[in-house]
Amino acid sequence: MSTAGLTPPEAARWAALAGLPLAADRHTAVATTANHIRSVVAVLRELDFEDTPPAAAYRAEGGGRRAAV
Amino acid sequence: MQPYELSLTAASDAIRSRRLSPVELVESVLARVDQVEPQLGAYVAVTADRARRAARAAEHEVAHGRYRGPLHGVPMGLKDLIDIAGTPTTASSRVRAGHRARADSTVAARLADAGAVLVGKTHTHEFAYGLTTPQTRNARAHDRIAGGSSGGSAVAVASGTATFALGTDTGGSIRVPAALNGVVGLKPTYGLVPRHGVTSLSWSLDHVGPITRTVEDAATVLTALAGHDPRDPASLDVPAADYRPADDPDLTGLRIGLPRTHYFDHVDPEVESAVRHAVGHLEALGARLVEVDVPMTRYLQATQWGLMVPEATAYHERTLRTVPELYQADVRVLLEAGELLTAGDYLRAQRSRTLMRQEWARLWETVDVIAAPAVPLTAVRAGEETVTWPDGTTEGVSDALVRLSAPANITGVPALTVPAGQDAADLPIGLQLLGRPLGEHTLLRVGHAFERTRPTPAPTPAA
Repeated sequence: MSTAGLTPPEAARWAALAGLPLAADRHTAVATTANHIRSVVAVLRELDFEDTPPAAAYRAEGGGRRAAV
Repeated sequence: MQPYELSLTAASDAIRSRRLSPVELVESVLARVDQVEPQLGAYVAVTADRARRAARAAEHEVAHGRYRGPLHGVPMGLKDLIDIAGTPTTASSRVRAGHRARADSTVAARLADAGAVLVGKTHTHEFAYGLTTPQTRNARAHDRIAGGSSGGSAVAVASGTATFALGTDTGGSIRVPAALNGVVGLKPTYGLVPRHGVTSLSWSLDHVGPITRTVEDAATVLTALAGHDPRDPASLDVPAADYRPADDPDLTGLRIGLPRTHYFDHVDPEVESAVRHAVGHLEALGARLVEVDVPMTRYLQATQWGLMVPEATAYHERTLRTVPELYQADVRVLLEAGELLTAGDYLRAQRSRTLMRQEWARLWETVDVIAAPAVPLTAVRAGEETVTWPDGTTEGVSDALVRLSAPANITGVPALTVPAGQDAADLPIGLQLLGRPLGEHTLLRVGHAFERTRPTPAPTPAA
């Protein structure tokens, strides 16, 4: 998947695929904000996660008596 | 001194010893609301009649020997994300028009059981998705931002219109407004305070905690709030505890980490000076300073956003499709843009959080507490959107306000902000103390020891 910026029509297409139809006057603003957010989170692609699991639910102190689900 | 000016601890002592009645205290706070609320806008709704009824009941109980504990008869504000049965939880949003909570949130129920008296619901940046709380003005300077998203709670406590308040903190939303208004804010360990019945911004980052005038007050409120509730899937099953710190200010042997990285980068010189001066006080109390390197700083904002943005969009999935025009513009576009992040983006943030927690666990082997600024700058003027640092770089105000808060949200460690002076414009500066997971006792001990080196704060005078 490309990290290149989305054009306003591409942003509208992606939003539609996600089930969110956007009115035409929303396309540019959403594309601009989405591109900024995507550029910030893209830096995580630098990390080599190897076997690291996601912390979808976690205990701040690690391990412990009962799982957080 | 008027009753509304009392700290929670002082008010509580006076009520317990029957030198002050809950009715007197609540009437004093309501009179203060009449005096300053029109200028400050801290409250969505003030429930004066309900407060007076509760105060009379609390007074009756004390008079008949039923004292519930240190929150008995103490007036509070609750951020308007927190459900109270039969009342609206507006989230400071038109989206919630007509809302009525069916049941009490866990925290509201626990505070009611403890005898606290609700003054009203306080403003949040809409659905907690922002750092300014534009409806509310800074308690110290009305042309400045309150900070957010728990801006109403912080301003209420700072101005004397609540003796304590609750906020929520997903990326600093307790600590930021507390620091900018000169009060104490505590974000507890993730999972220590149940969030059942509290509107979510981002499930894996959200925390509920107290905003107070003193660290001792925050510890008293935390004692009432903490404890397992299976209705919050992240809730920790830890034994009940009294978090109130002893009065011994001796910190001998305690290792305080002073970050070499991240926490003092792009920080206003007056803020840095005040925080380093505060750290000097901790050293004078016997603590040993240890320089530390904060791990993975390059990935903090990416991890925070990669978690928060998709989770917030998911929470609002339905209303973003049915009533998008009812959101404020800044929140709407963030929610819409969140639809364009992928599952891969979200999972990378989750895996990064795993790595970050592991790295921070190693950090906690070398220090007991970390000391840092709460926010890199004092309250900016309302409407200012960027800050320019001396090296010429420009940063969004919201990004700057989140920057020093996010590590504690991502790793779940407890973090406390304590007033540590003011800048040349008399705007408050906050010292942030971070502790080990479930290290609230140590954190509050250090915070209490520090604040004992300073004069007891009183509510900000009416401007």
